[in-house]
Amino acid sequence: MRAAAKRVMAIARKEFIHITRDWRMIVAVLVLPLLQLLLFAYAISFDVRNVPSVTLDLDKTAASRSYLDSYATSTFFAVQGSVSDFAGIDTAFDRSEARVAIVVQRGFGDALAAGGTGAVSVLVDGSEPNSAQLGQTYAVALNQSLGRRALASWAEARGLGTVRVGSIEPRIQAWYNPERRSADFLIPGLMIVIIMIVTIQQTAVTLVKERENGTLEQLLESPLTHSELIVGKILPWALLGVVDTVLITGVSMGVFGIPLRGDVSALAVGIGLFIVCALSLGLVISAVAPSLESANIAALLLSFLPGFMLSGMAFPLASIPVALQVVSYLFPARYMVEIARGVFLRGASWGVLGPQVLALAAYAFVALGIATLLNRRRRA
Amino acid sequence: MQLPWTKTQQTRPNTSGGDGDAIVVSGLRKTFGDFVAVDNVDFRVKRGEIFGFLGPNGSGKTTTIRMLCGVIAPTSGGGTVMGYDVVNEPERVRENIGYMSQKFSLFQDLTVDENLRFYSGIYGLTPEKYAERRAYILRMADLEGREDELTGNLSVGWKQRLALGCATIHEPKLIFLDEPTSGVDPTARRQFWELLNDLANEGVTLFVTTHYMDEATHCNRLAFIYRGTIIAEGTPQEVKADLTADTILQIAVDRGEEALAALEELDSVDEGYMQGSLVHVNLGRRGAEDAGLREFLVDRGFEVGAIDRVEPTLEDAFVHLVTQQGGRA
Repeated sequence: MRAAAKRVMAIARKEFIHITRDWRMIVAVLVLPLLQLLLFAYAISFDVRNVPSVTLDLDKTAASRSYLDSYATSTFFAVQGSVSDFAGIDTAFDRSEARVAIVVQRGFGDALAAGGTGAVSVLVDGSEPNSAQLGQTYAVALNQSLGRRALASWAEARGLGTVRVGSIEPRIQAWYNPERRSADFLIPGLMIVIIMIVTIQQTAVTLVKERENGTLEQLLESPLTHSELIVGKILPWALLGVVDTVLITGVSMGVFGIPLRGDVSALAVGIGLFIVCALSLGLVISAVAPSLESANIAALLLSFLPGFMLSGMAFPLASIPVALQVVSYLFPARYMVEIARGVFLRGASWGVLGPQVLALAAYAFVALGIATLLNRRRRA
Repeated sequence: MQLPWTKTQQTRPNTSGGDGDAIVVSGLRKTFGDFVAVDNVDFRVKRGEIFGFLGPNGSGKTTTIRMLCGVIAPTSGGGTVMGYDVVNEPERVRENIGYMSQKFSLFQDLTVDENLRFYSGIYGLTPEKYAERRAYILRMADLEGREDELTGNLSVGWKQRLALGCATIHEPKLIFLDEPTSGVDPTARRQFWELLNDLANEGVTLFVTTHYMDEATHCNRLAFIYRGTIIAEGTPQEVKADLTADTILQIAVDRGEEALAALEELDSVDEGYMQGSLVHVNLGRRGAEDAGLREFLVDRGFEVGAIDRVEPTLEDAFVHLVTQQGGRA
């Protein structure tokens, strides 16, 4: 047993020297992930901010003015001015001066005073579907939260209880991400995908390199066993994966202000298991790939595509085709993204995340076993 | 009485690491699908011997070594290495042997010292033992003072000696060398063989594969493997003995390959091949001094230089054996 530990350490130390000796490797492992995080977090941001907007006040009451003022002070909408009729909205849309128009209908103030529902229309420029779609979503969400605030202040000014005042039934509630900042939603998932990309790519080439240099053959003729080789290979990378996680978490919290609300130990255990899963996937590629190039390409495909598409990081998994949902269970990212969001945003605890952590543990065990078996078979 | 399927047991000596032969192989066979890589091979290697395992590329040399090191399992048959069964005790086998291949198996981006330290860890040397072996290997490989150099920057002779040092860091009593001098210049090859002779003098058994026939003369005993079968075995003299009564002519001629092709058509020529730029032909036991070969070649427009009768070389013997098998070397 002592000899086995010695052999594992010899491999791990050697791997570590390989990494530290090549500055490109250090950049690839420690700097690139942070660059990726910054790049992706800014580039993929779904936030709609300062959407150029115009207002049309057909009611012209204190209530409608107070309501529209709330829009003007919001960071989501940049109110360019008000128009006097619907033709004005057309003109603003045509000249691309606005993408959203907020229209307060006649009778808004009276309806609220009478305990009814105030009618507000949000018109969206559909010629740019993506930002229009998102703009609409936000407009609806804001319409409601701002609308309630406007109502409250209006009611208060009149000495009425807010309860007695009519209101708009809120339909969208953003509980865990009240400002609905997409950064909060994206970054915990992005962290996981980036860590997966780094770890899979590095381990995918490690055994192929040894095979091409003939050093693998040498090691197989020594007392070293396959499992010792695999464990020794994984150790330094697992350590670096943890360092990457800490760095990325630090930047996410420091630069992007991501909250960390839940049980850190669940996150730590989860990420540890996840790193082993990703490393094992890399080793599976290493065992199957005929050459260094094919290992690189396979690693790229296996990390980027499922990372972005099948992890739930960017798109809710429930909204992708069923066949792809099934495929998504074959990659460890979906479990870990769930854990990361749970811990960072929802303040989830062990009890809630248990199934995901268990799934990762089972995945790690199976993937590591397959990696070891495949590598052993490759030599036979 | 032994039943045939108890072959492995039969060849297994009672005392591991005792006085038995270094390698005992019986009925060793390996197939990959329909391809028979090694076909019922039997041989023995005595302790302290330099055993040459010769054959063209793809003849089964490396496959045999890998089975003997317990890296791949034989399809059937088996053997013992340093008294350990290659099928049932591959770990014991690997602890007791050294292995060096033509690729030298060094980590190019590690320093000389780091390579040594790595292999010391793999073989579980104690710190004291490591210090002793390190000093010895650095001296042997002529690398004293260059411990911190990157291995990738060493020239090929030093790499080769360092690789030998790493492969023998645990002082194995048996070393497998798979084409260890392939791609190395003649001077470095000669120096390397001096090191191997030193090891042999210390009682280490060496199992060497090579396709350089001149290196085979360094060996105490040889086995020729061809298409997975051992076609000859014995001392270099024994291997050549079959040919000593034959007439072998060495012909200096321009356009050697074409001349060889023409000569091989002659009934009087049993076999022929290129030895460097010279043509070697075996006329069998006819004893004819020239056999009219000069006229034959001149008639066909070749410029013929000296034609000498020569002693058979190992290469002659190998070509002879392969021709008998109905193939071409």
